[in-house]
Parts: sequence; structure tokens; C-alpha cells
Amino acid sequence: MIGYLPGRSAVHRAHPYTPLALAVGIFLLAFAFRTPGAVWLVVVAALAFAAMGGVLGAVLRPAALLAIPTWVLLSVLHGLLGGPPHVALGPLLFSVPGGERALVFGGRVTAILLAFLTVLATVSPGRLVEAMTARGVPFGRVYLLVSTLTVVPRLRVRVRQIVDAQQCRGLRLGGSPLARLRALGPLVVPLVLSALAEVDEQALALDVRGGSMAGGRTALDPPEDRAPDRAVRWVMLLAVVAAYAARFLGRGP
Amino acid sequence: MSALPRFDGCSYRYPGADRPALAGITFEVGRGEVVAVGGEVGAGSSTLLLVAGGYAPRLLGGALEGTRACAAMRPAIVFATPWTQLTGLYQTVRGEVAFGPASFGWPRERVLAHAREALAQVGAAHLAGRDPATLSGGELQRVIVAGALAMEPDLLLLDDPAAELDPAGADTLYALLARLAATGVTVLVATPDLDRVARVASRAVRLDAGRIVGDGPPTEVLA
Repeated sequence: MIGYLPGRSAVHRAHPYTPLALAVGIFLLAFAFRTPGAVWLVVVAALAFAAMGGVLGAVLRPAALLAIPTWVLLSVLHGLLGGPPHVALGPLLFSVPGGERALVFGGRVTAILLAFLTVLATVSPGRLVEAMTARGVPFGRVYLLVSTLTVVPRLRVRVRQIVDAQQCRGLRLGGSPLARLRALGPLVVPLVLSALAEVDEQALALDVRGGSMAGGRTALDPPEDRAPDRAVRWVMLLAVVAAYAARFLGRGP
Repeated sequence: MSALPRFDGCSYRYPGADRPALAGITFEVGRGEVVAVGGEVGAGSSTLLLVAGGYAPRLLGGALEGTRACAAMRPAIVFATPWTQLTGLYQTVRGEVAFGPASFGWPRERVLAHAREALAQVGAAHLAGRDPATLSGGELQRVIVAGALAMEPDLLLLDDPAAELDPAGADTLYALLARLAATGVTVLVATPDLDRVARVASRAVRLDAGRIVGDGPPTEVLA
């Protein structure tokens, strides 16, 4: 999986709300469109978003790891169980409308994964905290959102530590599938228990440092929200409104 | 002298615990005192700090009996495990240390000045631009202490604050406690480092199974 990757791209330098708005916009557009061509155009937009952020290479692998099994599952379900007309694929009959549905659903999943992985890779948690603090968002909500963005890298570090510790104590991770399955227990149990303990300790640590205090926090380095940022967010909002308006008027792709 | 804090027949039990972690505690601490809290592991030293600062039972749950009063306006606490006290939200030590004072809504310049000063007090000014995730244990401990100091506390509660520090770092920290006390900050420090704490503490309290079994000059109580 992926965490924040420092960089100097336009997406990195943008106000943090801008990449978040783009990702939410891509999510909404993916569901506004109903034809494979239109949905995969949204996938192309998501790829362009990742490329603009300079993180295309970094997001493609985790996106593929998550999306490919989904494509396979959707193809099997809709292709083999879908209605007529069918095309012959060797001994199997593949449903054409089912295949189109699989393309639409698979495209939506792919676009959403690419967009949100790009947000994870390009939005600095610290800048997002500052941006939300400057807008007067209560710290509880700031923490909820930002800790969600940082949970993957933190868990990755923890998993590495637990794997190292358990291997030092003689745990073997290789071998047969059954042996690998058995090795999961000594890894997952400490991971879950330590994560739960840390949540408790961190909640206490944040609270004693005023995290739950009522009243406005001071933003120290709020990122500048420039006119191009606002323009991009407005364009995305208008695109989403237009797409849904066309859909409900029966004219959308 | 206003008490910071005062316990009168105070007992505290953690949620689900079958025996109290503190039992029948009666003592008070005055402004500007440095009080060492000692005892075996499990004696209740850390719990005493949590109750003194008002964090237990408010944040931890459990049941408090007796009277606990505290005139402190701004308590701050440092736990024994610095790595669990990072917010995880900032890529710089400066942001991390400024988190506490920023909670008070102070003007930006005041928050940053306090963060700078606190880092300098613990000899960690050079770490201001570093990513907290890359710090060593000793560096992190100093940063966490700085985070507490930046809140301008009038009651400072320290749980084994030198556990991750080298001897020179520990000396610096304990010398700082004496200077803070001279400015009116009350300090309660739970530590097994009896030699160092005895040099700066004006008084010591010894606990055993949650009860006070000694209260007086550090050289006598902690011996």
C-alpha cells in the first residue's frame, strides 16, 4: 500500500482541498456515467491526476493489486451469468451486456482506487491539518480524516517490526501454503493488539495536549488557497453537477 | 500557598480492576515544589500522576473516591513511552511541539515562540526541522518533554522522563526541572533514577501497593 510521498508536483503544491476535491469528483463522475466508454474516460482522468502528481508509478501497483481481482470477479459473475446476446469464448458463452456491466463496475473501482491512492501519495497530512485548522474544522474531525490517511504507512512500519521480532523468535514465513497460513496468527494477533493499545495511548496523549479542547486552534502554516486552486474545484463541481443533471435527464453517457 | 494538587483520602480504581491502584492517599503539593514519586513497579506512581493531573478518571474511566483538588490551570504530562505520544500528524518536530500550545488558540507568533523556547530548554533546538518519525529514542523523549513545556504548564507531571536519555541528557533534564520550579512551576516526577531526582527534588513520596509509605526529604524517603 502507499503513504505520503514528498514531492514538488503541481498536486503536491496545491491547496490540500484541491486534490481531495478532484478525488471526490472522480468518484462521483465514475458513478454518474453508465457506459463503459464514459467510465473508462474517468479512469484516464484518474491516471492523468496521478501523473500530474508525479506518483503514477507508485499508485499503479497497489491499484492493480486491488483492481485486477475485482475485474476477474466481475467478469466471471457478469460475463458468465449475464443475459443474451452471448459470444462464444472457447467452450464458454460470454454475455455481451454482462461484459459491459463488468467493464462499467471495474472501471469505477479502478478510477476510485487511482484517485484516492493519488490523494494518499500527494497530500501531506501536516498541510491538510493546517488547511482544516485554518477553516475552523473541529480537531476531532481533522484527526479522523488525517489519521485515516496516515494509517497505512503506520501499519506498514508496525507489520515490519512485528515480522522482524517474530522471525528473531524463530517464526518461519516460507514453506507450504498451510505453513504460511499458520504463520499469520503470530503476526496478526500482535498487530491487532498493539494497534488497539496505541489507539488508547494516542487518544490520551492527544487529549492531554489539548486535542479535545473547545475553541479554535491556531493554524501555524496554513497553505495558501490560490485562485487556480479554487478554479479547479469549481470546474470539478460543475462537471459533477452537469454529469448528474444529464443522467437524470436521460441524456448522459 | 495554593495546593497543586491536594489529595484527601483519595482512592482510585481502574475500570474492571479488582483492587484500587491508589488507596487512601492524603498529601498536597505546593507551588514551585519538585516532588519525587518512588516505589516498586506497580506501586501506583504513574497512576498518582494521572490522578494529580485530573486525567484519571476523566479520560481513563474508573472510579475515584475521596477528594482531589487542584488549583493548576494548565497541567501537562509526559508519559514513559515517548513514541506513543507523537500526534502522527506533522512532518516536523516544530509542528509536533507546537501542537499543545496551538490548542489554546494563542496567536501564531506566541505558539511558535513557545515551541522554539521549549526546544531550546531541552537542548533540541537543532531538531526543529526534522521529521519526528526519524528521531532516536533520546531525541524523541526530549521533543515530547518540549511539547509539554511549550504549553506553559503550571503543573508538570513526568513519568520516568529520562528513561530514553543518555546520562548527560538526564542531567540536563533534571537541572531544567530545578529551574522550572524556581519560576513557580510545580513538578511531580515518578522515576527509578533516585540519585538524580534526589539532587533536585525538595521532597519525595514513596508508594507501596497504592499507599503512601513515606513522605519527606528525598535522601530519607528514597534511600
